Parts: sequence; structure tokens; C-alpha cells
Amino acid sequence: MRLLPGRAGKFESAVGTLYLFHLVLIVAVLLVIQSLFDLARFGAESGQQTGGFLPVGEAETYDTDNLYEKIDGKAPMYQDAGFESLATQRFAHTVNAELGFEHYTFDMGNSRNAFSVYSRQKRADVIDLNELQFGYQTTNGVYFSYGKYYVEMVGFAESQEIIDAMKILAKKLLAELPYDEKDEIEDITLFPPGTIAGSWQLQLKDAFAFDGLSDTYSAKFNADGKTVTIFFSKRNNSDDARAVAKNYTDFLVANGAKVIDPNVLDFYGGTEIVFAAGYFIAGVHEADDRDSAIKAAAVLFEHLNKISEKTGG
Amino acid sequence: MADQNQTNFGRRQLLARGVKAAASIAAAGSIAYWLYDRNGPNGDVETRANLQQLPDLAVPRKNGQTLSIVQGSDRTKTVNKAIDLLGGIERFISPGDVVVIKPNVAFASPAFLGATAHPDVVAAVIRLCYDRGRAKKVIVTDNPINDPASCFAISGIGKAATLAGADVVMPKDNLFSNITLDGGVLIKDYPVFTAPLEDANKLIGIGPVKDHHRSAASMSMKNWYGLLGGRRNIFHQDINTIIAELSMLVKPTFVLLDGTTTMMTNGPTGGSVSDLKKTNTMIASADMVAADAFGCSLLNRKPADLPYLALAEKAGAGTADYESLKPLRAEVT
Repeated sequence: MRLLPGRAGKFESAVGTLYLFHLVLIVAVLLVIQSLFDLARFGAESGQQTGGFLPVGEAETYDTDNLYEKIDGKAPMYQDAGFESLATQRFAHTVNAELGFEHYTFDMGNSRNAFSVYSRQKRADVIDLNELQFGYQTTNGVYFSYGKYYVEMVGFAESQEIIDAMKILAKKLLAELPYDEKDEIEDITLFPPGTIAGSWQLQLKDAFAFDGLSDTYSAKFNADGKTVTIFFSKRNNSDDARAVAKNYTDFLVANGAKVIDPNVLDFYGGTEIVFAAGYFIAGVHEADDRDSAIKAAAVLFEHLNKISEKTGG
Repeated sequence: MADQNQTNFGRRQLLARGVKAAASIAAAGSIAYWLYDRNGPNGDVETRANLQQLPDLAVPRKNGQTLSIVQGSDRTKTVNKAIDLLGGIERFISPGDVVVIKPNVAFASPAFLGATAHPDVVAAVIRLCYDRGRAKKVIVTDNPINDPASCFAISGIGKAATLAGADVVMPKDNLFSNITLDGGVLIKDYPVFTAPLEDANKLIGIGPVKDHHRSAASMSMKNWYGLLGGRRNIFHQDINTIIAELSMLVKPTFVLLDGTTTMMTNGPTGGSVSDLKKTNTMIASADMVAADAFGCSLLNRKPADLPYLALAEKAGAGTADYESLKPLRAEVT
């Protein structure tokens, strides 16, 4: 065996070459992983312009342990809804430093969870995005739910230029994010005619502060020109639905509601209606006008009963 | 024989080179250790935090001059008027004072989205402290949720504070000291951002009126959450108690509660202009419980909806019955 100085032997050369080869291989693997992860996944390839905006810095990722470092007090809402991970990326205008936006992609595990956090945070007076079933824009942001993802893009100014860039990025995301037919939110089709499209909400648990009311859809309903909130929750069978309806009614009464009729309650001047319709528990929540609430409840009851009968409930 | 000589020479050479290499590494390491700046590039405060309790920086109460409520959309004007109604900045700041301002800079979010204090309010207060209060030094500080540099930059508070002549102090590990609150359940041997308060005579809190998913509202008292270090999210499980304990821990000179725009929904981060409502109200108060009790009304909530108000009141931090203070009201255009 030769040591320094002098020329390396064949064995040393072979070992050295092997080490170098491994180093090159590691670098290559790292580069491939980097190119596949985060930035490309979220439509923000480094250095690539999006409508005049460039990504600033690295994308950040958060999991259940450190989500609070990004959104603090809102973290429990996402975590309770099945949150798995968040990726964020800031963008800045290539010329005007005052213009920028930040993009958040929440992986919520499944489409119902994503739809739930989307619907619960949906803003009023928005412009719906036609290319999406669940998406809208405000004067400074674009928001949508797509498959298991909930996406927010928050503009740092009210600017059409920012909105345009966000829409370009949204299109890239729609092309990249995986989507499956099983991701469809079919239950919103169970609302009766007269329901205001886009007003749907899904509360996965503890709807209306009652811990026995899970997987509850609600929406605005137009009852002869007056808007009331209707809701339903699909249960395993009609017995279960009746039991939950009774428990929810008891909960309201325990909190100060007065029974006007077996299904109609006065709750500090507002009206609550609760009933079972086949395997649904359903009703009207916090209505200002009792007559409108009763009309809406009648439509909802008949509609859900028919569905329940048709589907063997 | 030649091979043997070659081998011996190689070993000696190898040892000598090894010793030289080790010496070089040790020298480089020593120089790096000597040059290492533990405070980082933003360190304005060189001291290490060593406070055991936060100082009581309140000023004596004056009946009828505890709470002011000013209507108007121009924050600089409403801040000036609200403080004047309480007796002017001279009542609170004395010549030579070191004033710490703690705005809510929690998020890397532009001020117009209402998730942070507004830079116009911060700048107005700094100017009052220097120009009329004749303060010696004004420090602006917070321990944000997001990256501190980004929060101070994007909110505009860092720039506004610097332009108005204040020192901005960013949080660093050595600026926190562990504190136990007397009578506290949660704040026990817990890291608190104390160093900026080491030499302070006065403390002013500035926060927006915001909806909050966990505590229903984030206003003056919740703003002190930004003095906590560590994994403070553990307190989300008992948010009302931690806010009440903060009201016991921190005794500010006065607070400003900015309800010029109120984040009505999706707090505390918001993110859309649609979450906001123009409520055109500025509140100045030497009683932060009263300030927050009034702030509820901007959120269309009642004091009873915020359990921490009753807890803070019970702890002696102030009164939720703000009308009993006979608030001074004005409007500026």
C-alpha cells in the first residue's frame, strides 16, 4: 500500500472515484427532489414570472405542530377540520415593489374538510370564479376549494394587476393539483330549489354550538323574498335523525328557547325550527321572521322526505 | 528497503500535516467564536433580559379622564384628540422618559387588512411622545407570530417607527426572561419579552379591533400576547385565562384601541378587505378592560360574549362597565 507522497494506486483511485460518484449522485438526487417538491407542486417555480410577479424567497411549509407560527389563533379551526399541511409563497411585482401577494395552499386531507374551511370563511359580496365550483375573488384576494386543497391568495393592495396574477397562478394550480371524482361535494345538491347558490356551508362538528350535530350543511334560502338559513345533516337512519332532532331541541330549550310548536322554538326573539325528515335532521336557524322560517321549513321538509324515501331511508 | 523508507517518510509526513490541519481548524474556530455576534444584525438592545416581574408603568387615575372615544377616519387626528381628551400626552409622558410602544405586529400583513396595528397610529404616538412629552427615547417592539422582520416591514410599522425617530427592537432569545405571575395559573416560569422594558418608564399598547377565532375578539389585552415567547400556542386551549393573566401581568400607561376599521370576520388573520368594516372609532384608555368592553360593540358583540373581560375585571385589571367611567366623546373631521 502506498501513502503520501507519490501517485495513488489503482485501489485508491477506484475508492476515490466511487466516493466522487456518490457525491455527484447525492447532488443529483437533491436537485431532482427540489425541482419536484414545493415550488413546482404549488405552481411557483423559482424565477418563473406569474403575470409580472416573481416568487420572493423560498416557499414555506407548515404542519400540525407549527401551523400556529403562520396563522396563530386560526390554527385550531384548520386543525379541527383535518388539516395536514400548508405551503405558502410570497410574490412581488418585478417593477412596482408596493405590489405583492401571498399564496397559501392548505392540504386538508380530503375534499369535505377543504370545503368546510372554505365555506366557513367565505366572504360576503364576492365575485364568483366561473371556472371553479367553489371559488371567488374579493378586491384583494382569490380563494377556492379544489379537491382536498383550500387555497387563499391574499393581495397586499387592492389592485387589478394583483388579481390578474392570482388568477394566472390559480389556473396553474388547477392544472397541477390532483383531483378525483370522489372529491365532489355531492351533498350540496340535496338542498331544495330556492336555496341561494354559493351560500353553502359545511360544519363538520358542533354545528350551532351543539356537540351532537355533526356533518351539517347550511345555506341561505329565499322564502318569498326573505332570506333565512336552512340546514340538514344526513344520519344513519330515521331513528338516529329523530334522536338527534330531539337532543338538539332539548339543547336549545336548556339554553333558553321556548317551545311554540313541537318543531318551532322562540330563541330570544329569533326562530329556530328543528325536525327529522327521513334520515335527515334538518331545520331553520336564527330566523328573524317566523312566517318565512315556517315556509322555508315546509319546503325543506318535503324535499328531504322525498329524497329519503327515494333512497330507502 | 526503499519501500520501507518510503512508508516511514509517508507516516511522518502524514502526522505533521495532520497536526498542522488541526491547528488551522482550531485557529479558524477560535476566530469565528470571537467574531460571532449573538445579537445578530438588528440588535439595538445589547443588554440581556433579567427582569423578574414586569414593572407597573401606569400613571395615577383621574376621575372622568380614563376613557375617550373619538369618531373620525383620520387616524392621526383621532389619536391626537383621544389623548388630548384624557389630559394630553403630558399627563402620561414626562421629559426624559423612556417609552416603550407595543403595537400589534403579529402578522406579515399589510396594514390595510387590519390584522396589525396601523403605522399611522404608531407614528402619531411616537411624535406626541417626542414633541410634547419630551421623551428621551421611544422604543417600538413586539414578538410577532410570523417572521419579525417581515412583520415589521410588510405592516409598515418598522418604517413608520424609524422615520418618527423610534428604535425598533426585534425579539431575540436573550431578550426574554422567565417570569412567574403572582396568582397566575398559566404564566409560571414562562419566557416573556422583558428586555425592552428594562429601562422603560412608560408603556403604551396599540392594537386594532379584530375578530378572533379562539377568543372571539383581539383588542388591547390580547395585544400583550405578543410579549410572550416559547410555544405560546399552548395557551390557545385556555385563551380566556391567558388574556386575563396578561391583564394582570402588564400594567401599561395607557392603551390605544384602533377601531377605524374593524375586522368583523375571519380573525385574527383576516386576509380580505371583505372582512373589514369602517367603524371610524379611536379609543384611548388608562383602563384596558374598559377599552375592550367598549370595543366589543364595534364587533357587534356584548362584553358577556368575551369571558376574559369578566376574568380581568375580577382580577382587578379594570372595569367592563365602561359607561361607569363616563367616557369622553368627540368627533373629528
